[in-house]
Amino acid sequence: MTTSPGALADSPVGVTLRNVRKQFGDHVVVDDVSMAVAPGEVVSIIGPSGAGKSTLLRCINLLERPDSGDITVGDVTIHPETGVSPKDLTSLRRTAGMVFQSFNLFPHLTVLRNISIAQERVLGRDRKEADARSRELLARVGLAEKADTYPTRSSGGQQQRIAIARALAMAPKVMLFDEPTSALDPELGLDVLEVMRGLAGEGMTMIVVTHEMHFAQDVSDRIVVMADGRIIEQGPPSQVLTAPSNERTKRFLRAVTDR
Amino acid sequence: MIFVQAVLLGVPMTVLITVLAFALGAVLGVPLALARRAGFAPLQWAARFVIDVLRGIPPVVFLFVIYFGVGTGVIKFSSLQAAVIGLGLIAAGYLAEIYRGGLLAVHKGQFESAAALGMNSWTSMSRIIGPQAFRVALPSATTYAIGLLKDSSIASTITATEILYRATASSRGHGAGLEPFLIAAVVYIALGAPLAWLSRTMDAKMRARVAR
Amino acid sequence: MNEDTLLGGWLAWLPSLLDGLWLSVRVAGASLIIGIPLGLALALLMSAKHKWVRVLAIIVVEVGRGTPALVMLQIVYFGLPSAGITVGSFVAAVVALALTTGAYTSEILRAGLQAVPHGEVEAASALAMNNRDTLRFIVIPQGVRIAIPALLGFAILILQATALTFTIALPELLSRSYSIGSNTFRYLDVLLLAGLLYLIITLPAGWLTGWTERRMARHL
Repeated sequence: MTTSPGALADSPVGVTLRNVRKQFGDHVVVDDVSMAVAPGEVVSIIGPSGAGKSTLLRCINLLERPDSGDITVGDVTIHPETGVSPKDLTSLRRTAGMVFQSFNLFPHLTVLRNISIAQERVLGRDRKEADARSRELLARVGLAEKADTYPTRSSGGQQQRIAIARALAMAPKVMLFDEPTSALDPELGLDVLEVMRGLAGEGMTMIVVTHEMHFAQDVSDRIVVMADGRIIEQGPPSQVLTAPSNERTKRFLRAVTDR
Repeated sequence: MIFVQAVLLGVPMTVLITVLAFALGAVLGVPLALARRAGFAPLQWAARFVIDVLRGIPPVVFLFVIYFGVGTGVIKFSSLQAAVIGLGLIAAGYLAEIYRGGLLAVHKGQFESAAALGMNSWTSMSRIIGPQAFRVALPSATTYAIGLLKDSSIASTITATEILYRATASSRGHGAGLEPFLIAAVVYIALGAPLAWLSRTMDAKMRARVAR
Repeated sequence: MNEDTLLGGWLAWLPSLLDGLWLSVRVAGASLIIGIPLGLALALLMSAKHKWVRVLAIIVVEVGRGTPALVMLQIVYFGLPSAGITVGSFVAAVVALALTTGAYTSEILRAGLQAVPHGEVEAASALAMNNRDTLRFIVIPQGVRIAIPALLGFAILILQATALTFTIALPELLSRSYSIGSNTFRYLDVLLLAGLLYLIITLPAGWLTGWTERRMARHL
């Protein structure tokens, strides 16, 4: 699988979270988290289940609305407490692309239409232009032949790659990955991780919630460890994964590697 | 206001028809549902056909057949009898399918473990399978009962003196007015509401009990 | 053939009854064509942003579902003239049954729309698609498809309901059967034929519904 330089990661931007807090009922899921991701940086967020990792990620593109805090993506800053204008919301979601654990492809549309539809409706491209771009992206993730088939005809790993192409079609400047390989057999996951590696290699800003320690170690610039809604440790992989300072981190890593 | 009184006079008959027809259907639905599951193919097809016909014929046509067709010859049916028989047989068809749904929803393993424990079919059906199937079928059956309450209005066409009959008489007696029918609508909605509420609370309670 | 035999009678009455059946089918068809889009509109309104729009939609649906079809027919037939609109039986029948259809199918369609996996709605939102486009291209096409078996089942019930329109002077199948019956006193004979004619449509329609249901379950 080849990745050619340039077009995909054009002028990536940074993401800043300030004092983000989110609770569901009585349960505080994200507890006053602040984090800054530089343009082109690849950050992996790891930690035990229920740590608030996915919720934090979903706050960035407002699939979850934080109860308090600020979020900056590129040069758009929003304060969810005081309300978010439709303009800012659209801008935010155009800048940040997201890939989901369960792919969430549209089963009633062909693979090509899956990738084209948002280009047409949101970016205003006409069908020819959108479809051409879609085919380009499909080729990049190695699935050009799947264009006119329906998503259910592809394996899980292929569907996830299609989902990545769909997100990339919007020319995002930061990519959010919510456990992209957790629903896949280890073998199928390898192809997806390859695509993600390629993306990182081109300089895309990436925030990845993952359980894949090898990927986190090889590709990330920084690892963020979350537990109980807080960041308990962060740093370069060499530090966090091999010589963590936090007790909780040590416990988590032991549990993960001892399996 | 005389309209309200006149229309309300029909409530006892409406309730009577609904309750009797539902009871008849609930009872007759059982052999129909069991026949559907019997090992014997012709019996299964016959049961299936009977159910399809009962659910396919317009209820008013069925009531007409019983009241005007059958009930004027050798056998004479009163409008109440014809209404209960007609709506009851149709209810049997629908409830048989609801029972079937309930039985299908019971995990196959239950049948097998009951048999493995040495229970005969009667015991396993009544002690193990039945109660579970009942739990699944109850919401649909309650919904059907509410529908039956509304269908009882069809009995007005064969002169049963229920709510709609009274409303129609009221309307005719006072220059084809609209009000009695509006009142009738309100009464039907009011009668259906407690049943719907009952269905929702039962549904919620049963979910709570089964929740693991 | 001698008209006094069962078959003879049937052959003699068939033309008139078939005319009546065709009228029933037209009433049912018109009611569904108007009522199902109405039901979709109500289903969407029930999730509207403004509270009062939601409340109004819920009231319309609960009244439409709580009122027996036969009562609805009388209300429309006697009600429209008092509002100054004079309509024939056909229009009154279609208006009443379309309202009933709208109320019932709104629940069916609402269930269908909610059955569309929420993850897909999230994906559309993440792609910056607005609510209208998400509904139009993602939720409604799949939701309606999911609802098709239940809508088919309901269509059968509406055809059965057309038999009630004889009460508002529509010369459809049951009405004609009854007049033949009262003329010949052979009620049972003619009503059996009427029942048969309804079944000729509703039985295959029922089998089609079951087949559609099974086919959709397989593709899930």
